[in-house]
Amino acid sequence: MPAITLYGARKNYGGSAPDAVSDLDLVIDDGEFMCLLGPSGCGKTTTLRMVAGLEHLSGGRIAVGERVVDCVTSGTFVSPEKRGMGLVFQSYALWPHMTIERNTDFGLRLRKVPRAERQERVEKVMKTLGIEKYRDRYPSQLSGGQQQRVALARMLAVNPDVLLLDEPLSNLDARLRLEMRAELKRLHEEFKTTIVFVTHDQWEAMTLATSIAVMSEGALQQVGTPNDIYERPANRFVAEFVGSPPINIVEMGEGSTNPLAVSARAYFARHHPRLADIGSIGMRPESVAFALDEKAIPDGAFSEKAVVSGVLPTGGSWIIELAAQGAKLFLTTHQPPAISDGDAGWFHIRPETLHVFDAEGVRHAAADTQLRGEVGSTARRATRKVPA
Amino acid sequence: MSAAADRGVPSARPGLWQRLRYRVRIALREPTTLIGILAALLFAYLIIVPILSLLVDAGRVQFGDERRIGTEPGAWTFYYISRALFSPVAGNLFWAPLVNTLSVAFGAIGISLAIGGPLAWLVSRTDMFARRWFATALIVPFMLPAWTFALAWTTLFKNRSVGGQLGWFEALGLTPPDWLAYGQVPITIILALNYIPFFILLFGNALRRFDSQLEDSARMLGARSSTVALKIIGPMMLPALMSAIILAFAKCIGEFGVPYVLGLPVNYDLLATGLYRSISSRQTGVAAVLAAAIMLIGIVSLLIDARLVREARKFVTVGNKGAMARQSALGPLRIPATAFAALIFLISVGLPLLTLTLSTVMRVPANFALSNFTLDYWIGTNLETVALRTGILLSPALWSAAFNTLTIVGTASICSGLLGLLVGYVVVRTPLRPLAVFLRQVTFLPYLVPGIAFAAAYLSLFAVQRGPIPALYGTAAILMLALVADQMPYASRAGISAMMQLGKDPEEAAQVSGAGWFRRMVSIVVPIQKGALVTGILLPFISGIKGLSLFVILAVPATDVLTTYSLRLVDYNYTQAANAVVLIIAAIAYFGTLLAQKLTKTNLADGLGS
Repeated sequence: MPAITLYGARKNYGGSAPDAVSDLDLVIDDGEFMCLLGPSGCGKTTTLRMVAGLEHLSGGRIAVGERVVDCVTSGTFVSPEKRGMGLVFQSYALWPHMTIERNTDFGLRLRKVPRAERQERVEKVMKTLGIEKYRDRYPSQLSGGQQQRVALARMLAVNPDVLLLDEPLSNLDARLRLEMRAELKRLHEEFKTTIVFVTHDQWEAMTLATSIAVMSEGALQQVGTPNDIYERPANRFVAEFVGSPPINIVEMGEGSTNPLAVSARAYFARHHPRLADIGSIGMRPESVAFALDEKAIPDGAFSEKAVVSGVLPTGGSWIIELAAQGAKLFLTTHQPPAISDGDAGWFHIRPETLHVFDAEGVRHAAADTQLRGEVGSTARRATRKVPA
Repeated sequence: MSAAADRGVPSARPGLWQRLRYRVRIALREPTTLIGILAALLFAYLIIVPILSLLVDAGRVQFGDERRIGTEPGAWTFYYISRALFSPVAGNLFWAPLVNTLSVAFGAIGISLAIGGPLAWLVSRTDMFARRWFATALIVPFMLPAWTFALAWTTLFKNRSVGGQLGWFEALGLTPPDWLAYGQVPITIILALNYIPFFILLFGNALRRFDSQLEDSARMLGARSSTVALKIIGPMMLPALMSAIILAFAKCIGEFGVPYVLGLPVNYDLLATGLYRSISSRQTGVAAVLAAAIMLIGIVSLLIDARLVREARKFVTVGNKGAMARQSALGPLRIPATAFAALIFLISVGLPLLTLTLSTVMRVPANFALSNFTLDYWIGTNLETVALRTGILLSPALWSAAFNTLTIVGTASICSGLLGLLVGYVVVRTPLRPLAVFLRQVTFLPYLVPGIAFAAAYLSLFAVQRGPIPALYGTAAILMLALVADQMPYASRAGISAMMQLGKDPEEAAQVSGAGWFRRMVSIVVPIQKGALVTGILLPFISGIKGLSLFVILAVPATDVLTTYSLRLVDYNYTQAANAVVLIIAAIAYFGTLLAQKLTKTNLADGLGS
């Protein structure tokens, strides 16, 4: 059963501004950990707030389970307080005039939960998050990480059907962020709540989500498992947004005269003559390899002469910068490279790890069939079956 | 496969009617909008209607004038405008007060700029001795009513031209000439002393925020100090300086207390006292013309200021991050500079307050023999005066005035504080943008209208019964309404900025947790805004206590407050008692301001900028 369905959801803040979110179709299943991922200003937070009911729609509709909660056409709008969701804000938004305990049991008091049960639940959730010793303190007396836990506890205490998280980890330092990530994953397994998580951090999305929805400029780009998103980016935007160092792109469009494009075109003409309409190809840095000896290049691989122009250790792995036919390429390796600046050789990449895009920047389906021997796409589609 | 490219039919756009119905439903889902509409109606009545009524009065025949004008009361006429502007008496009615007002304003601003500008630099960017102490001490005049200093002046310089107790100099045998005792010179000097804090606060703030790195960059490129001052610091400080000048000017236009004490004895009228004269001689129509003129000058100057502030904002972005203020070393000038600041403090705060205090414990002016000192004027009984036969603290009149002040100003302040927070809430939260814009602007309107003109507007509207509203003149209600309206700019500003700072998050968090509107107000918004609410009540209270112009027109003996009581004592020449009351008012205002600052951990300058 889908927990949340967005159908043609649109948000416009008025005036001549473009839509903050345009015609978004998205299904979030029960028990899913869904990440909305995208650069700042892509409409992911707006989407989350529309689900929570803190923003109303300019068009389309939203349903929670079978119940339509927001629909312009029928004039339906269910207030946020009646949607039974939890929302953790980026700023945590703890109430500064209440103790941690009062912050945590606020929702339960509103629901008139009997005292004994209330205490038991607050106790449990505070213990789970390790904040029970701060119960009588005020938010200003806690550190950022502790406040973050209180914000979570406050929402978990009422056991919401859906938990919405708006970049909750972005104000924490790197180490705490790692800890909280693990904790969130554990909580998701323990409470079995549907979680929608907004972030601009791809690693956060990759490590936490069961599925990721990538957004850009108010439009949904791709929905899929973290693996799907990385291994089979639906378009150039997704390919370039996800991955660090970023994917190496070679523009191959008509009239592209850069030497690497010419060489790539020759490669495709020789090995995959039936592939037409290639706009660009992408090579993940970890798929690219460098050989000093031409004999080391495997058969059928795309390769070209290259010169090492930089070796950058990142601790445990290395980023190698190559100059290939005037283009700059990055590759990563976990083996200590036995090369240094100025070494000349060849870069090469196996065809099944190439990402091929058409002239519009959309993933080239025929190329996947030919290079990888796959049929169709595993990317999940938004369903259109919305209860009337 | 892209999910975006995946969609077949575009979803149908909702029609206009559907969108409208949806919007209305969302707007009415919560009482915010309804409260906003009610508040908008209330303020339209309390603020816009009186001003319109006043403007209409300037163009219609008033009761009692029908013979002179030769038409029925209520008919439209240019009589008042032509009488005030073009008739043979226009010189006395309008032009002379206008010229006086302008010359006093420019004189006072010139002096306070010349003194306040260097002081602002000294307290914000140098290593002067006791710099931090001076930064607070020098703005004390700002917290006290301006006419406190006028009374101190008369205590010192009053001569035989007017009856009553002599000034100290006259008593010592050195008769001050009229030009020194009354009129333009003392008014200009006192207003100048009163406006120095403006420059220290506004100009000093801008100087403090000025990023030293901007100076350093110019120096690194080889600019000399004079070039840096002229080409870098000067242009960037100009908006703040102009803003301080214009705010002082706008305040000066409506100034009533000082010219009342120092100008009236020699018939030296400013626009505000001219207006008061016209009202007390029942020339309602001419008074309306004068009030409209004051209003016009006030509005124009504040519009210019708003423009300059916007201009200044453009500069703010230039040096926001990593800004650092470096102090200049004064070197050998350190002691003279400190002496200069000390001297100004002595003249603008120490001397007046000392004079006033001493005058309340001395029987005969300027006689410093121990036998001349007495506490009779504070706590004595069976004094040999015609009225007021007890010390001021034992006089029932003082306590009834104090009680009136407390109830009238107190009630009005509580109302404006609550309304201010409510306006802030609606402005920040309502989905109906036009409502937010209207509320923000209408509550700011009284700021553009000097108090004396506003009082005249209230008199014009509420002097007679209109519809279901009875004639309110002479009641405490008219004072409270006028005070509330007059204080709304500060109260609503405070409310709006408090709500802006709070942001939406804490309230939305409660909403998601399941709290309805009322619950959110009670459990979240009001408790968090407690401090802002207290300040929103306290600041109007202080300004209401020192306020003179509203009361002098709208109060009657039954609604006597401390300020009008002290003015009457001045009129009756009970100098010691009058000064004592003024000291009481000054003390309340001063300690109240300190309390407000402590509560909000802010300083006064923040409320002044826009």
